[in-house]
Amino acid sequence: MKCEHCDIVERKSKADILYEDDEVVVAIKDLAMTPGQITVFPKEHFTILEVVPEEILEKCSLIANKIGIAVFESLGSQGTNIIIQNGLGAGQKVPHFAIEVVPRVENDGLGLQWDAKQLAEDEMATVFMTLEQGMKELDSSAEAEKTKGKDETGKDKKNSKEDDKNNYLLKSLKKIP
Amino acid sequence: MYLFMDPQQLTPEQQKEMEEKLKNMSPEELMEFQKQQCIFCQIISGKIPAKKIYEDDKVLAILDINPAAKGHILLLPKEHYAIMPQIPEKEVGEMFIVAKKMSKLLLKAIKVSGTNIFIANGLVAGQKAQHFMIHIIPRKEDDGILEVEEKLTDQEMRTKVKSLIENKFNELMGVKKEVLQVESSDEEVKEVEELEEPEEIKETKKPAKKVEEEKPEKESDDKDDDDDDDGGNASLDDIANLFK
Repeated sequence: MKCEHCDIVERKSKADILYEDDEVVVAIKDLAMTPGQITVFPKEHFTILEVVPEEILEKCSLIANKIGIAVFESLGSQGTNIIIQNGLGAGQKVPHFAIEVVPRVENDGLGLQWDAKQLAEDEMATVFMTLEQGMKELDSSAEAEKTKGKDETGKDKKNSKEDDKNNYLLKSLKKIP
Repeated sequence: MYLFMDPQQLTPEQQKEMEEKLKNMSPEELMEFQKQQCIFCQIISGKIPAKKIYEDDKVLAILDINPAAKGHILLLPKEHYAIMPQIPEKEVGEMFIVAKKMSKLLLKAIKVSGTNIFIANGLVAGQKAQHFMIHIIPRKEDDGILEVEEKLTDQEMRTKVKSLIENKFNELMGVKKEVLQVESSDEEVKEVEELEEPEEIKETKKPAKKVEEEKPEKESDDKDDDDDDDGGNASLDDIANLFK
């Protein structure tokens, strides 16, 4: 499958590479919300946030934070957005997890907003109950995973997670041309 | 979004009084004052109730009472920080790991086709509260949340961005990446030699950005930052302190 971010790693893309180590790549892509947008992504092909191993995610986030600081200080931006588009419905266009750092200035017309909804109290209560229940299930499945194999390597973790049910998301991502 | 007492709603006398009060405070007092004013600090200390989804000793995740979509989660550091650059590295990493967990929760518990992890640093980026937070927003196609258009940028622009950011970024990455740093700083030198003229930067930046009025001020900031790193630090603090 063709992946724009893997192409960047393999130097098959027009994007400029700002930084690269064994695990993380920082690139300036030609398609951007605003000039100065920087993309931070793991070198290995992970599709969505849920399959990125913790230590890789941690490293990506630290580097994204540093990019944010560098953007503040050297591009003269007055703010930054840090965005993960996770899944087709969330605007993800490349099937390879990435953190976008977007420099902002006043009246740049970027949008990136939402209309705040007023939920009725019972609606809030229902969502809360659903998530509370979901949290319990997440915790118990994490417990089960722990007891299954204690010496899990990063790859094992990845595989077990890819078997996971939320792979509806992964499947839909594969439809990205 | 939780809303805050808008400083602009104060009468001029009250505003003056407030400014006077703030001026005479030590940094510690100021910090304490900000915390007292901060709704999220009060949620964290339990003074204001909230629907808590997750909590550990560093972070708290709650439901947003005015969400972008049902299930919109706010992930807060328990310590009061205004923007991400102020947060200790270790905590940044930990927050993203919890954010991943919250995203997984939303995908599993609510029928959504994706999530956005969203951070706004600074007023112009859409930050509405003085307490740093990571939004985890459940998404469906065409829900109109966080809409943004992507445009093609030209190579010249990208090269310029790279040369402007590279020095500062490598400096921030520190000694750990010594080997890589040496490699990249070689390239850098060549590029900087070609591109250092601020005049040139000004010209190419203009057509690509929409806001003409902002330009002169912004460009002079750029020059300051290039010459003097301390100037840059000051502007970061300014952004963090916009909420005072």
